[in-house]
Amino acid sequence: MKKTKISFSGVLLPLAFGALVLIIWQTELLHKIIGTNTFTLPLPTTIIRIIGENLDSISANAFDTIEVALIGLVLGSIIGYLISILAAIFPKWGSGGLKVIALLSAIPIIALAPVITNLTKDFSTIAPERSMFAKIVLVTLLSAVSMSVGVYRGLTDLKPFSEDLLQTYAATKFDIFIKLRLPNSVSYIFTALRVSIPTAIISTLIAEYFAEYITGVGRQIRENIITSQYSTAWAYITVACAIGIIAYMFLVLAERLYKKKKHKI
Amino acid sequence: MLKKITAMIVAMGLVMSVSACGNTQVQTPTTPASDAAPAVATPTDTKSILEKYAGAGTIGNWGLGNEYELYALLAKYNLPLDFLSQDFTMDGFDDNSIGLASAMTYNELGLVKNSYDGGYNYGDTVAYIDMNDEGVAMLEDNLFTTKTFAEANPETVKAFVYASMKGWKYASENPAEAAEIVYNNGSSVSKEHQLYMAEEVAKLVDLSVPVGTMNDTAMQQTLDIAKQYVKLDDSAAATKLAALTLDDIRSQAYWTDIANAATFTPEKTDVSVQLKWLPQAQFMGYFVAKDKGFYDEVGLNVTIVSGGGDISETTAVSNGTVDFGVTWVSNLITSNAAGMELLEVAQVYQKSGLVLVYKK
Repeated sequence: MKKTKISFSGVLLPLAFGALVLIIWQTELLHKIIGTNTFTLPLPTTIIRIIGENLDSISANAFDTIEVALIGLVLGSIIGYLISILAAIFPKWGSGGLKVIALLSAIPIIALAPVITNLTKDFSTIAPERSMFAKIVLVTLLSAVSMSVGVYRGLTDLKPFSEDLLQTYAATKFDIFIKLRLPNSVSYIFTALRVSIPTAIISTLIAEYFAEYITGVGRQIRENIITSQYSTAWAYITVACAIGIIAYMFLVLAERLYKKKKHKI
Repeated sequence: MLKKITAMIVAMGLVMSVSACGNTQVQTPTTPASDAAPAVATPTDTKSILEKYAGAGTIGNWGLGNEYELYALLAKYNLPLDFLSQDFTMDGFDDNSIGLASAMTYNELGLVKNSYDGGYNYGDTVAYIDMNDEGVAMLEDNLFTTKTFAEANPETVKAFVYASMKGWKYASENPAEAAEIVYNNGSSVSKEHQLYMAEEVAKLVDLSVPVGTMNDTAMQQTLDIAKQYVKLDDSAAATKLAALTLDDIRSQAYWTDIANAATFTPEKTDVSVQLKWLPQAQFMGYFVAKDKGFYDEVGLNVTIVSGGGDISETTAVSNGTVDFGVTWVSNLITSNAAGMELLEVAQVYQKSGLVLVYKK
């Protein structure tokens, strides 16, 4: 068995690069390189101070953002998975239909967000509720697209002759689906999530711009930039980055656990 | 079946894109077209109206630094400081998701009551609450630059202010002609709305005092309201805001009464000014000054830069992208609190243009 070692290129190098960026940022060398000032790009210490001063309001906004992104991601992934199963069952028009669905992801989020906000106004008379619903619909839609397109390949792109082999065993279509197609699609779920997790977070942030009820990390970034509060805006940008990185870390962890389990079998 | 679903999804996409295009064009015929002015709410009304819509949670405002007058008004009547985010159309007011909507007298209020293209044709079935009547008015459109630019180019600033105010006086006296000039300069709205806007903006300019005058009482009220209702998360900025005085944000030294003839020797002759929003009669004075050659007379070559993006005019002026900007006094206050060194050099609007409109 191979033991996991802290590799130079995999861990130390990125860490060292990160530390270097922080150092030239804090010492204002970075500001000289890209020609800006500490007003537009505040120092890391300022950003950390503001996060520390506003832990309550920042975590409340972050919670609202994570809630929408997570619910939308889960719903969208389930719907997307079901769509890809349907497409795999009816392959004749399945791949064509998926291409049409994939077109949806070509519509810019920034155009889709206000439209969905307007279309979902009848959902509830309570603004926070319909506002959250509108945001979740957007995230769900986009997550469903990337999941359905990604998993469809997993359901259809089988190992050579594996399907023929099962057929020689007189396996039914249902058996082939359960024993071959579904297991084969699992690793494609992770691939799809690598795309849809960042998309879910970004679309939540943008949906917050246009939401009727004012809350969330995205909305705070916009409010603070427009009112020239760049330091505070950067505090929220940092929080948005942290949400994205942590979500991605969870995904990588889950993927590793799955692979370990798979290899044991 | 799946085909149907696919078709539905495609159809949904089409509907979405169509409604996206039609956002500002929604027409709801209610009453026949009417130019009757909406009634202003009387003070006894104001309380009950505010309570009604605050209770329903349907008071709307754009946020993004436009909400302080609303906060002051709500606080005056002991109501919670909450509002819904209003987009830049009046669709929310039209579909009743917003009952008491923020509107500028010269823009959204006109769209609500008038019947021309893009209007909602509510005529005199709507009424409004005026911030000036309620004593919570904040000063809005002004002309500003940075302290550094003003100190380095005092004659340029004086010349630009002089010619701009001349443009504003002419425009306010001749709103129809000004509207035409703005329209020909790449207007963002229809000709009829432009004319309406010019007439309403002229009322805010107040020709009974010299154009560009800074009224210290009104400006102090603006600063006081800002200090009370602007909430800044950065403690350094909050401390600075609390300590701001009028002298930190404005200087009368660059303003000359246009009643007196004046000549200037500008240090920098090519200057630019960024508007707070898209080209429209809200900024007619600058377009008129350019069109009538007032800038040429003082030896300036002026470029008018459209606003409306998320890179605000305060940032653009602060980082030197443009030399001058048009903004609200409250934006100037928050920007300087955050560390910018902006300086107001002329106050164009003498009154607040913000009202809260509701259906009678």
